[in-house]
Amino acid sequence: MDAFFLEIITPEKTFFRGRVESLDIPALGGACTILAGHQPMVFATEPGSIYLTIDGQRREAFMSEGFIEVRPDETIVFSQAVEWPEEINERRAKEAKERAEEQLRRNRSAAEYRLNRMALQRAFARLRVKHHNNLNND
Amino acid sequence: MPDISELKHRIKSIQDTHQITKAMELISITKMRKAVAKQSFSSVYFDSVRYTLKDIMRHSSDVRNRYTVHRPSNRTAYIVVAGDKGLAGAFNNNVLNLAWEHMQRRPVHYVVTIGQMARAFFESREQQIDLEFTHAITNPTLHDARGIMRDILELYDRNLMDEVYVVFTRMHSTTVHEPVMVKLLPIEEKDIEVDVKSTFNGEICYDPSPREVLDVLVPQYLVGMIYSTLIHSSASEHAARMMAMSNANKNAEKMLDALNLEYNRLRQGAITTELFDLSSGRIFSENNSK
Repeated sequence: MDAFFLEIITPEKTFFRGRVESLDIPALGGACTILAGHQPMVFATEPGSIYLTIDGQRREAFMSEGFIEVRPDETIVFSQAVEWPEEINERRAKEAKERAEEQLRRNRSAAEYRLNRMALQRAFARLRVKHHNNLNND
Repeated sequence: MPDISELKHRIKSIQDTHQITKAMELISITKMRKAVAKQSFSSVYFDSVRYTLKDIMRHSSDVRNRYTVHRPSNRTAYIVVAGDKGLAGAFNNNVLNLAWEHMQRRPVHYVVTIGQMARAFFESREQQIDLEFTHAITNPTLHDARGIMRDILELYDRNLMDEVYVVFTRMHSTTVHEPVMVKLLPIEEKDIEVDVKSTFNGEICYDPSPREVLDVLVPQYLVGMIYSTLIHSSASEHAARMMAMSNANKNAEKMLDALNLEYNRLRQGAITTELFDLSSGRIFSENNSK
């Protein structure tokens, strides 16, 4: 399988740099898989899981909202936060989830609703990634 | 002629001040380095955000977002970024005066301050402060930048203002920093500064649509802008303080030199007088006992 060069960048660090065979992303228009030789494109994404296939190994990671740029020479993922399952703090994600749910119940303005929905989505995505990979390890 | 103990006291107090300014200089150097390092980490990310945003706005001029549409009147909000502390030369004054001058030309304006010195400045000029962020400037984080962006956008969404400017100090190098004013909202293509050149010049598709990608990019762009102004401001503040303190050090050393010379001269004079008194006393008593 052909591989392509992938770079994952967050404001704090370069999360990943290397060749991968495929990349699954939670695009706004629906989940997509990027393979080598993809048409140049920019995808907007929502918080969720991304899957990287490196040497036949499929790895899952959490990705917050962001966008993905596919160029002929390389693919770059930009996101506020990207984390491997082992980096996710489960307790913090749970707390964030409870907080967001509580806030959603109160629901003051439309802007706050959007914000809290995003926060809840992030928390769910983090917990999902964490749980998937805990099961695999057992 | 000054008293010798008075002089001693003065030397001691200058030495104490010298020690403080020396420590402050060292602290400023490390803090400035830290801020610059942080800037370089995040700049890769935000440069690309800016580039993509500019690319969308240039190629698809029909794509509009409510933050890119120009509003008719000119109620202006100013976000003024200054330091939390003084003792940094003209750093605070330069940036605050620039903001102040521009404000006088706008009939309706709002003031958002970041940093204690900015608040004190506007309070002393009896300019009402509409919103204030504390603790953001000492150690800027992305979290602070997001919070500031949210609050500003909320005010903008409520249609309280038509334009938002940020006034901050941009650092070009350790010794060169200038106060600048940058338009934050509405976003215009010409205001977006891009330093990176893309390796790919062909046409890029946007999924699901340029409009939705733009909606995702705009908040990120704003966070990046605010974050970089905070970092630039904090790095310039430390650089300015570093220079002010190194000047203070030089002055203190010069003063200490002069005072030490004076002190030694006086001390030597006192010893000579004492010796003279002793010997003359002795001569006098010897003459008397004969």
